[in-house]
Amino acid sequence: MLNPVDHSPASRRDQFKAAVGNVAGERRRKQAIIIGKERRDAVVRAKRMRRADDNDEGMMYDEPFSDKIINEETVRAVQELKFLFSSSSKDSSQKKIEALRKLRRLLSCSSNPPVASAVEAGVVPILVKCLEFGSSDEQLVEAAWSLTNIASGDSELTLAILPALPLLIAHLGERSAAPVAEQCAWAVGNVAGEGEQARDLLSSQGALLPLAKLLLLNKPMLVKTAAWALSNIIKGPSSKAAVELFKVDGLSEAIIRHLTKGDEELVVEIAWVVVYITSLAESQTKLLIKSGLLPPLVAWLSSSESLSLLTPVLRSVGNLVAGDNSNTDALLDAAKDLPGGLFGCLVRCLGSEHRTLQKEAAWTVSNIVAGSLQHKQLVFGSRVVPTLLHLLATSTFDVRKEAAFALGNLSVMPAGESQLPQPIMEHLSMLVERGCLPGFINLVKSPDLEASRLGLQFLELVLRGLPNGQGSKLVEKEEGLAALEVLEYHDNDDLRSMANELIDKYYGEDYGLEEEYGPGIAEVVRGGEEYPSWRKGRGGI
Amino acid sequence: MELDEPKSQSQEERSRPPIADSAFIFPVWRATRRKHLPDSIFFASGNLERELLAKQVVLEITDEEKLRISCLEEEKQWRMQCPVVGCKAKLNGLQELETHFFTRHTAVCSVCSRVFPTTRLLDLHICESHDSFFQAKVARGHPMFKCLVDGCEAKFLNDASRHQHLVDKHKFPRSYEFHRKRHLSQKQRQRLHKHQGKAKPQDGASASQENDNICESKEGVLQEESAMEVEALTSAVSKLNTGDFLPSNVSFGRRHSRAFAFSAPRGRGRHKSKLNAG
Repeated sequence: MLNPVDHSPASRRDQFKAAVGNVAGERRRKQAIIIGKERRDAVVRAKRMRRADDNDEGMMYDEPFSDKIINEETVRAVQELKFLFSSSSKDSSQKKIEALRKLRRLLSCSSNPPVASAVEAGVVPILVKCLEFGSSDEQLVEAAWSLTNIASGDSELTLAILPALPLLIAHLGERSAAPVAEQCAWAVGNVAGEGEQARDLLSSQGALLPLAKLLLLNKPMLVKTAAWALSNIIKGPSSKAAVELFKVDGLSEAIIRHLTKGDEELVVEIAWVVVYITSLAESQTKLLIKSGLLPPLVAWLSSSESLSLLTPVLRSVGNLVAGDNSNTDALLDAAKDLPGGLFGCLVRCLGSEHRTLQKEAAWTVSNIVAGSLQHKQLVFGSRVVPTLLHLLATSTFDVRKEAAFALGNLSVMPAGESQLPQPIMEHLSMLVERGCLPGFINLVKSPDLEASRLGLQFLELVLRGLPNGQGSKLVEKEEGLAALEVLEYHDNDDLRSMANELIDKYYGEDYGLEEEYGPGIAEVVRGGEEYPSWRKGRGGI
Repeated sequence: MELDEPKSQSQEERSRPPIADSAFIFPVWRATRRKHLPDSIFFASGNLERELLAKQVVLEITDEEKLRISCLEEEKQWRMQCPVVGCKAKLNGLQELETHFFTRHTAVCSVCSRVFPTTRLLDLHICESHDSFFQAKVARGHPMFKCLVDGCEAKFLNDASRHQHLVDKHKFPRSYEFHRKRHLSQKQRQRLHKHQGKAKPQDGASASQENDNICESKEGVLQEESAMEVEALTSAVSKLNTGDFLPSNVSFGRRHSRAFAFSAPRGRGRHKSKLNAG
């Protein structure tokens, strides 16, 4: 032996302890890609820069030039502009436009343009000047473009263009040329993407209605940008903007028209507007439904292959069914002629390779089956159930959790007045038969408190609902009792009480005895009878 | 689905001392709708995807970057302190949370494969169930049974009085049992003895899976024997229910033989051993 014998209690115990490893740290180390915070923010935030057009001739500032040179060029360009727009200059407007264009190209040359240098050099006041009424369309577009890209940067940069807001908003009006209105909408959209306060500011400066009016037009590029900007303004958390939108006459019809006939990119942006309306503005949503929102919505849900499109469409449907039964009924009706109906569409999403679609589709189903008994029966009869079971067994945590909500909601009677909602035996027993228990028991073991709770609640249903103690046996068989036992020590009062309650009630002293020793054994054990009834024979004792 | 409050949390009951577990009402499953606001974290991954797709060309986002950013955002969503009370671990991401949870907050006894959420409880279990040194001290009348609650220094002469303390002082449910008495047939005990020779300690997380898969006869035979010795030595007050007529040698029929993962019938059935089959 290498070590002298050690009789201390600690080391004796150590022999029996299972060793512990650390897997997560190693895996993280293996991930070689480091993404800088700036880069990450640029991707994640709700702001979009505009790159140079493909057919733009003239000098393009990309690969061959270093950052240093680009910054220097930018500063020089700003200074040139300063001179051109000062009162002492007598230069033609053409020269001014050329200078603006040069600046704009610098500010859109790469995915990380020198906007900070430009702002530092004092470009914003000049650009504001360029937005004056009476300026040529070209000048307005170039100035707004530069402002757009400045506003696509971090908070500091976005807020730097606030002085330009009143003019940008003014140029959203009906008399502006389409390219001008579009570029101004883009800049406004970036400011809205900054945050709640910026959104409130924009609303108070009157950006909302002009933008909404742009949706009435038939110009795809413009409508697309305006819709995107609008989605950034109305996304809340306050519902005020989403509601106020509808002050514009004909907005509902316009939204539905674009949803039905627009090209895919346009439909995507309009769908996001619908997402926020359905989430925040209840009566306006009803208005949209009345105007015919649902047919095109479900049509896209049924036919689209594009993740960009499916995401907002599915989410809109999800928001709708999170409302009330009448929305669900309306959707079912609108989709009745599509292959598989509404559930066929949802099965497509559930079976998608994209986790987000799966998760949000499962959430949608969970809200549908939280409706009437008829809704539950309709879902039960569809292909949704096998798909959900598969997800519960195999998918990632967030998807499994939603699938669990859906399957559980499917298994209980509608939440009515009663203290104890009854399980729907037909549904519950089928789900158990099809092997849903391991998935729920896995959730019980999860560190996420909500998931664990969910698992326990489903187990309770099974234990209570299945007759003749079948529930107890099945749960134990799938290691459910083991999972409950671990929770006996849990520091969360709720979980601990729940687990103990289940163990006490369904795995109490009498558990397992009847099967082993026949009926009547419980009385013997408790001391009331000496022999179980089957032992007593014809004469009795 | 609603979250039902257990009755013991209602206003009127707060003035009375909490009754251990009899006031608890299980919050049964209720099928209710769940709404999420636009800025809910539920929608975060979808929102991120939207931006990635819209800006992929403009910002020249590579596939690797896409993947990495998605991972980072997901980790941010699950950036939290471990939910277990007293554990100060800071975790990023669901994967890390789960790994941490299963390696630090589950401890597996390599003898009988019972799982405990803390090493302290595992230690107590090993002492009380698999350690004859412990049994000897108990027999000589030392108070060896420690209170299960971390921080409480109380010690007891037997399992029963500790149990009473847990119920009275720490509000444990009366039916709570730290020890499971599992009784195996002679055949299984023989099989287990053979296994014991080959048993090796294993990694925490995988052990709980693997041990479950190992032949069920690896259940606590030693536990049974030492538990019975303890019972023989303890006084009648240790039995919380009807009298003790436990024979020293018990054969207990085995049912439900399955290749994997089925453990001995558990639960509170202390009296199973008190009857001979047939």
